[in-house]
Amino acid sequence: MAVLKTRFGGDRGALFLLALKTGFLTLVTAGIYRFWATTRLRRWYWSSVRPGGAPLEYTGTALEKLAGFLLALILLAFVLTAINFAGIAVSISAMEQNSWAFFGAVAGVPLAILPLIFFARYRARRYILARTCWRGIRFGMTPGAWGYAWRATMYLFLTLATGGLLWPLMTFRLEKYLTDRTWYGNARFSQHGSAMRLFGPLLPFIACLWGGGGLLTYFAMTAVDFSATVPAINPRAPAWPLFAGMALLSLTFLFALYYRVASVRVLVALKDLGDGIEFDLWPRTRRIVWIYFWGYVRTYFATGFAYNVVFGFVFAVAWVFGDLDASQMQGLIENPPANLLVTLAVLTFLMVTLFARVFRQAFFIYPMVQHISETLEIHQPELLGGIRQRDADSRTDAGGFAEALDAGAAF
Amino acid sequence: MEEALRNEEFAAKLALTYAELFDGISPVKQRVSLRIKDTLLEIKNVETHAQMHWSLHEMREVPDHSENEAMIFAPDNVGTARLIIREVRGLAALAESGAEFRPLQGPPGQFRRLGIMAVLAAASFVGLLFGLVPWFADRAAERIPPAAEIALGEQLYNQVYTVQGATDCLAPEGLAALSRMENRLTDGVDMDLPLTVRVVRDPTVNATAITGGQVTIHSGLLAAAETPEEVASVLAHEIGHVVNRDVTRAQIRAMGSYGLVGLLFGDVFGFSATAAAASVASQLIDASFSREAEGRADEFAHAMMEDAGLPPEAMASFFGRLQAQRGEVDLGALRHLSTHPDLRDRIAAASAAGDAAVRSGPPVLTDAEWQALQAICGAGPAQEGPTAGAEK
Repeated sequence: MAVLKTRFGGDRGALFLLALKTGFLTLVTAGIYRFWATTRLRRWYWSSVRPGGAPLEYTGTALEKLAGFLLALILLAFVLTAINFAGIAVSISAMEQNSWAFFGAVAGVPLAILPLIFFARYRARRYILARTCWRGIRFGMTPGAWGYAWRATMYLFLTLATGGLLWPLMTFRLEKYLTDRTWYGNARFSQHGSAMRLFGPLLPFIACLWGGGGLLTYFAMTAVDFSATVPAINPRAPAWPLFAGMALLSLTFLFALYYRVASVRVLVALKDLGDGIEFDLWPRTRRIVWIYFWGYVRTYFATGFAYNVVFGFVFAVAWVFGDLDASQMQGLIENPPANLLVTLAVLTFLMVTLFARVFRQAFFIYPMVQHISETLEIHQPELLGGIRQRDADSRTDAGGFAEALDAGAAF
Repeated sequence: MEEALRNEEFAAKLALTYAELFDGISPVKQRVSLRIKDTLLEIKNVETHAQMHWSLHEMREVPDHSENEAMIFAPDNVGTARLIIREVRGLAALAESGAEFRPLQGPPGQFRRLGIMAVLAAASFVGLLFGLVPWFADRAAERIPPAAEIALGEQLYNQVYTVQGATDCLAPEGLAALSRMENRLTDGVDMDLPLTVRVVRDPTVNATAITGGQVTIHSGLLAAAETPEEVASVLAHEIGHVVNRDVTRAQIRAMGSYGLVGLLFGDVFGFSATAAAASVASQLIDASFSREAEGRADEFAHAMMEDAGLPPEAMASFFGRLQAQRGEVDLGALRHLSTHPDLRDRIAAASAAGDAAVRSGPPVLTDAEWQALQAICGAGPAQEGPTAGAEK
């Protein structure tokens, strides 16, 4: 049977220059250019992912992204104000009993925003799919953001309430909700299988979380004396449950990542498109951990290095052309005037932000996209011939909700 | 070959180059030959000989493409068909024959939509931040039960002063003088909330009013004042804030607009910068409300001084002297400048009120009482202490 493998092309140097140019313009335009920056970076990344040699294409435009952002701003401003007012009204009526309720109700406001964040994510995904083409055919997603928002909120609480045990249920049901609403041309994607397939990959995570939690509880019950006014630790009690518990809890992050990656492998293998086009996606946890670690190390050092080079250059120019002799220069360094310090602090902040973003693209997002896309395989591609174009989806906020709520993707 | 090219009829049939076509209807890759026909590009399927024609003028290049070995073209800004040309000679020939390789842009009409959205967004934010939220805060402030507001005020006082290390000044004779001054001002005034007036050890020339009738005079202000009437005029100003419930309303306003300004900045420079920018913007909005509140408190103070038979211009002389001594910038840190209207305006307002005033009453404190008040924190100059509190 025929298989389409995926090639990742595109040169890291070109990406670096594109990220530097767009990042710089974003800074000097006080953030307005970020819609153009995101659009251009997406175009670049999409075109470097080439299943069967044909690149993906991102067809979104910066202008529609900016307009969508403004639309989302208007709606969210009214929604947020309504939530705030409700919080204030509740707290004022609760104040009769307890003045601390005043603060309690205000703290409840962020919780009310949670469904909005899921709503924004669905809308952003719908926009991105509607603006993605492959082989000249559009992807698309049918409406359903509110259904996703309340389901996601409910499953999140269910997962938290069961100590993570029902995480696979949340993963599977939400993925099925999204997949079954996703289209390529006039062909629909379907998610098959069930949440049971995901419990295996979750086992190490549950073992560490519950084992670590249990050991810490055991330590607290045996070694801590709660009868005193200030709880005291009994130095003679064995300390190993404390250290073992902490070690297990720190491993949960690793196993959570393993679960996420493994569940992607399982879920992608159980999707199909149209009349039986099937997929495989084989990201490796080891590789992803390495990309995280090595990516951030390189970003950190490259940012520091670039910052020093630029400032060294600025000082050298100031020295040579600024008509300062050595003692004046020393005076400036030892006793800098306040406005110089503020200028330097602002410049430092802007430059570190810029370089960190640019290097993160080159050293972290680039290898991540490369690794994941290179593991994509499409089976039975001859069935693609039966697929036809779908209409353009113009009714979208262009990811504006995710932008305003800062619930966006990595790029 | 040379022979063939010399035959014009045959040369016209030769393809410019070969390319891959996705027709935008089906995802099947077609092998096509390209020829120039006047201002059109003829695209011909090499197997079926089906043809389509693109205008060389309308044709667009797909921008920000990461592949160096190929160029991708669209028929215009709207069409979904894509032509992938990989041969450099073919691209060169295409350029020679008049194709402009202009980058693909979005469909038309986007600027209009953007303009409408920008106007609507600006109107919404102004309407919410300066209309609906303050209106709601005024209504909500009236509905807070006084007992709860007093308890809240105590907590706030602890946060602003006690937790920061400020200590109350408690010399009995000083407290008696302070109480006499307070009674002289509030005699016959209908107060919703009982006043709690304190002096704290703090060298700044400042006084604050916070939620729940908590008025605090810094010892630095007592040291800088030359007459008890000057202190009384500042106290009257702070009582004005209490009566107008300025601080409570400002707090509810802040809660009502929580997160609104942050929306504007979204994900620009990362979380910390967004928070910083949002807080600066919020302060600017607060300052505009604050100037209005300060003006009202000043008017209230003039009326209160007059009603108590005290000279309203005491405030003018006090501020005028401070300005002469210290210069405007030195008079407390930036918060004074941002939240207090220009000193000159306040002096002018105080003098104008004083001109028309009837000054009939006895001095607010006797000399002995005034000395006791100035010594309320113990003998000697005001001690070093923390600078705390948002001046109101």
